[in-house]
Amino acid sequence: MSDTEYFIKHLPNDLGGTTCNDKITITERALYPWEKRCHALLDVLDYHKIVNTEEKRRATENIGPDLAGKLSYYEKWIIAASNCLLQKGILHPDEIARKTKEVGERYQVVA
Amino acid sequence: MSKKHHHPHDAHAAITHDEKPGFYEILEISIRELLVEKGLLGPAEIREQIEVLDSRSPALGSMLVARAWLDPAFKQRLLDNGVAAAKEMGIDMYDDTDFSVVENTETVHHVIVCTLCSCYPRPVLGLPPDWYKSKEYRSRTVKEPRAVLEEFGTIIPAHVDIVVKDSTANLRYMVLPLRPAGTENYTESQLAALVTRDAMIGVKVLRA
Repeated sequence: MSDTEYFIKHLPNDLGGTTCNDKITITERALYPWEKRCHALLDVLDYHKIVNTEEKRRATENIGPDLAGKLSYYEKWIIAASNCLLQKGILHPDEIARKTKEVGERYQVVA
Repeated sequence: MSKKHHHPHDAHAAITHDEKPGFYEILEISIRELLVEKGLLGPAEIREQIEVLDSRSPALGSMLVARAWLDPAFKQRLLDNGVAAAKEMGIDMYDDTDFSVVENTETVHHVIVCTLCSCYPRPVLGLPPDWYKSKEYRSRTVKEPRAVLEEFGTIIPAHVDIVVKDSTANLRYMVLPLRPAGTENYTESQLAALVTRDAMIGVKVLRA
């Protein structure tokens, strides 16, 4: 299979059988509160059919392998949610910019 | 929403977490608040969904397994229609997914994976562990399941076939493990206490 053929036949998130020989890191941890809220948010968005599970998966896939490799699981989810909501016109970039600034100030986070 | 932002630090945590919210947490808070302001989500919905998530744990899957071991008719119903059998035991598939239970035998061992993302039978097992969502587990389990199982300390004899079930957004699998020898006189609750999450994923086998 040529290089380009491989990329056409394999979505970036379709990891089954790909070349990976690394050992599995078998650890257990509780989710951070924001991670659980993020999970619940995406569940609720699915219930309301605002962003369904398949749309979330595709949006996660669209993050691309380079960035996806650097983000944690729920970081990818919230980026996927954000992109889906922007694409659907439910949220506007200006609103997100204004709100993230407001929230950052609320928690005294310097942007 | 919670006003608490002092996260306890866990010595075993894989990643560090600062006291103040980071970029992605701020994004999560912002999106949630914007959607509530627009009336698209009710203010209590996220908290209520967290309560649903917290109410789900492997204890529910263990209950299904113990009942299946003791009641052959229930086992058959569980294998035929996981959603209906779980409902019989008071467990609803809150995420509206199909639920398929696969039975381990003396000659077939099952293990579940989601090569595409992280699909998992959350209504009966709770949220998946990090390793289940890892690149390593997802890529290797379908290619070299025996080597993967060995990393979990599980050696499956060569004469036993290994069947890997790859989950999807709409179809979630759970393994019905083999009942360990020496448990003939156990009660249902004693049996349920033996059953672990990892056995229901298929990366471990049970011993009494």
